[in-house]
Amino acid sequence: MKSSRRKFLKKAASAVTGTLVFPYIIPSSSLGLGGETPPSEKILMGVIGTGSQGMSNMRSFMRLKDQVRFVALCDVDAKRLEAAKAVVDKVNRSNDCRIYGDFREFLEKEKLDAVLIAIPDHWHGIIYTAAANKKLDVYGEKPICRTINDGKVIVQAVKKNGIIWQTGSWQRSEANFHRGAELVINGRIGKVKYIEVGLPDGVRGIGTPPVQEVPEGLDWEMWLGPALKVPYRGVCHWNWRWILDYSGGQLTDWAGHHVDIANWGTGLEYTGPVEIEGTGFYPYDGIYNAPVEYDITCKFANGIIMRIANASRLPKGMGTVWYGDLGWIHVDRGNRISASDPKILEETIGENEIHLYKSTDHFQNFIDCVRTRKEAIAPIEPAYRAISTALLGEIAMTTGQKIYWDPEKEEIIGNPNASRLLGRPYRKPWTLPEV
Amino acid sequence: MKRVLNILLIISIILLIFTDCKKSPHYRALIITGQNSTDWVASTPVLKQILEKTGIFECSILISPTPGGEWDKFRPAWDKYNLVVLNYNGEKWPETIRNGFISYVNNGGGVLVYHSASIAFPDWKEYNEICGISGWDNRSEKDGPYIYFRGNRMVLDSSAGPAGWHGEPREFEVRIRNTEHPVTRGLPVRWMHAKDLLYARLRGPAKNMEVLATAYCDTTGGGTGRDEPVMMAITYGKGRVFHTTLGFPGDGTSPALQCAGFITTLQRGAEWAASGKVTQPVPRDFPTVSGVVLRTEMKPITLKEEIENLAKYEIGMSTRYYTGLQDRIKKAAGDPDKLLEIEKMMVKLLENDKATIESKKLVLRELSWMGTDYCIPTIKKLQENAELKDEVDFALERLGVK
Repeated sequence: MKSSRRKFLKKAASAVTGTLVFPYIIPSSSLGLGGETPPSEKILMGVIGTGSQGMSNMRSFMRLKDQVRFVALCDVDAKRLEAAKAVVDKVNRSNDCRIYGDFREFLEKEKLDAVLIAIPDHWHGIIYTAAANKKLDVYGEKPICRTINDGKVIVQAVKKNGIIWQTGSWQRSEANFHRGAELVINGRIGKVKYIEVGLPDGVRGIGTPPVQEVPEGLDWEMWLGPALKVPYRGVCHWNWRWILDYSGGQLTDWAGHHVDIANWGTGLEYTGPVEIEGTGFYPYDGIYNAPVEYDITCKFANGIIMRIANASRLPKGMGTVWYGDLGWIHVDRGNRISASDPKILEETIGENEIHLYKSTDHFQNFIDCVRTRKEAIAPIEPAYRAISTALLGEIAMTTGQKIYWDPEKEEIIGNPNASRLLGRPYRKPWTLPEV
Repeated sequence: MKRVLNILLIISIILLIFTDCKKSPHYRALIITGQNSTDWVASTPVLKQILEKTGIFECSILISPTPGGEWDKFRPAWDKYNLVVLNYNGEKWPETIRNGFISYVNNGGGVLVYHSASIAFPDWKEYNEICGISGWDNRSEKDGPYIYFRGNRMVLDSSAGPAGWHGEPREFEVRIRNTEHPVTRGLPVRWMHAKDLLYARLRGPAKNMEVLATAYCDTTGGGTGRDEPVMMAITYGKGRVFHTTLGFPGDGTSPALQCAGFITTLQRGAEWAASGKVTQPVPRDFPTVSGVVLRTEMKPITLKEEIENLAKYEIGMSTRYYTGLQDRIKKAAGDPDKLLEIEKMMVKLLENDKATIESKKLVLRELSWMGTDYCIPTIKKLQENAELKDEVDFALERLGVK
C-alpha cells in the first residue's frame, strides 16, 4: 500500500537524519529474485506529458530500474500515449501500464509515490498544483511557471503539502556546474560584481500557416487548456515554445538552467532582482512570436548586476560567467569550466567553507529524496526565483520600461500595467486549484 | 534699435525651429556610376531613393563616360560632397580624377563602396586600401590576405590563391561582429538577408579596417565554408569608408535591394561615413533570425494605417500590423499620453463593425494589460458577442473589472 510505504519511508528517513549516504538499496540478488527488486519495493511513478522531454526523463528514471516502476501515463495525444505505454510495458514485462487522456482522472484514480511532469509551460500552474495537492512527489520540468503568479501558487502548494520536488534543472547535478558555483560562493574570484548568462538565440520562423485539421488522437482543446482558444495551425509539440501563449521562447526555456546556476553560485537562490530592464527583438511576422534576441540587465539588492542575453550577443556565448573582483569563472554544458586564471580551478574547498549540495545523478537524487524525505538538489523556490527573473525581463521587454521589483513581497512597484503582466487569466472553466 | 534686435531674434528662432522641423538634408551625396559589371542603370535610382529616404541626404548622380569615352568632361566636384557613393567598376579613372578622389578621402570625405564597386581598379593601390578587401580581376596573394572569421576571431589568411567568388543567389544569415560600432549598434546580431549574391574569398590590405558583419558561405558549388565579411568600416586618412558587399541589384527589383536589413545598414553606413555618427533609429521592420523582411514601400506606416490594416486580419495572414501595434506600445515605454493615443485607436477598431473578429481578439489581448478606464465600456459592450467571449473575459479579468 502506498500510504504505509510512505510512512515507512518517512520513518526510515528520520532515523538516519544526518547520515550522508543512506544505504537503502538492498541488493536485489540477496532477495533471491533473479536480480530484480520486488515491485513492492520500487517507487511507483506516473508520467504526465509523454512528449520528447517526458520520454527522455522517463528513460533516465528507467536506468534506475531496481528503484522505479512506471505504472501510469497521461497525455492529450493518444498516439504519444500508446508509444509511451509500449516502452513502459516492455520494461515492466507486462501490459498493465494504465493510460489517461485527462490528468484529473489520472490524479484521481492512481495511487502513486511520485509523478514526472513534462508539459507545456501554460499548463504548469494547474497541473503542478494539483499534483502537489494530491501529495505526490514531483519531478517537474523547468521553467516551473509561465507567469509569476502561477509560480507563487506552485511554490505554496509544494511547501504546504510537504512533497519532495525536483526541478528538471539537471545542470545542478553535473560536476562542472557544481564546482563553478562552489568556487564562486566561497569567494575564489573575490566578490562577485557582475554575472553574464548566455541562453540560446531564437529560431527561424515558419511564417503564418493556415488553419489545419487537428491530427488524429490529439485533444487540441485539452492541449490548450487554460490558454486562449485558437484553431490548430500545425504548431503543437515542441514548437509551442516559440509562441508566447505557451512559453517565453528560449529566454524562459533556458533561464531554469543557466540563471539557476548563476543564482546558486551567488546565494541569490531565494531572492530576486530589484531592477530589471531589457530589449527584445521579436519576429516581424509569423505565428512564432517569442523574442529571438533579448538582452536583459537586472540589479540585485546586494549590488550584483546580472545580464541575461541570447548567446550571440555575449562575448563568452552560452553559459554562466561570474565576474568577481579577483577574476571570472565560466561554466557551460559539455562539462565546460574555465577561469581567468586556471589555478582558480585547482583550489580546494576547506572543511569549514560552504559545501553546496552534491548530486551526481539528478534522477537518482530525486528517488533518494523520495525515500529519505530530504530536500532534493533542485527544490521549488530556487526554480521559481530563476524563472521569475526571466519573466520580469519579459515584462520589461513587453512594456518597454524599467521594472522595479520587491523580491520580498514579490510585487512590481509603482507600475499597474506591468503588474497585470504578472499573471494571465485562465480561459473558463479552468482555474488554479486552491492550495 | 533694441526692439528691432528683439524682432530679429524672434524671427531667427522661428526660422531655426522651422528648419529643424523640416528635417532638411544635412549631407550631400554623389553617386558615381556609368560603368559596372552589374546593372548600374537599375541600381542607381534605388540607391538614391534609399539614401534620400533618410531625410538627411540629398543625392546627385554622376555618370561616367562609356568605355573609351571622353573623360575630360568627367569632373566630380569632390569638395561639394560629404559622401561619395561608388557604384562603379570599369575603366580606370584618369590620374587627375584618381588624385582628386584620394585627396577628398584624405581630407575627411565619406565613401560608400557598394557591392560590385569593390571589384574596381585592381591595380590602384590607394583604392584597394580604401575598400579594405576586394575580389576578382586577377587579384591574388600579392594584394593582401584573405579575410574571414573563424569563431569570433578575424583571420588574416596569407595563403596563395585568387580573390573573389560567389555562388548562386540565395537567402543567408548576416551576423553582426561589432555591436558597438555606430552603424551596427542596437541591431539584432543575427538576421536573415533576402536572396543575394554572397561575395567570398575577398582579400586585400585590410588596413584600418573593422569587419562589422559576416555571412556564412556554405560549401554548395565550391563555397568556402567560411564566415565571409559583408560589411566593413575603414578609415583612410581623415576619411571614413563604409563598404558593403551586399545588394546584388539584378534588374533593380532584386529582393536584396528590398531587404529591410540591407536598406537600413546602407542608410546607417552612409550616415556614419558622411559624419562619423548615426542618428537614425533602428526601424521596427529590421529583420531577425526569424526571417527575411522585404520593404516594398519606403513610407513609414502611421498608427491609423496600422490599425486599418490590422482590422482586416484573419488567421493565416501576415501578423505585421499586430507586431507593429505591439512595437508602438513598447516604444511608448509607459508614457500615459502615448498609450492613450494608441488605446483610442484600438477602441475604434473594437467599435468598428467591419473589423474582423480575429483582429478584435488581438486588440483585446493587448488592452488587457495596457488599457485604461477608457476602453472598459467598449469591452463590456462586446460581452454580448459570443465569438469574443473568452477574450473579453480575459481582458476584463486582467483589467480588474468585476
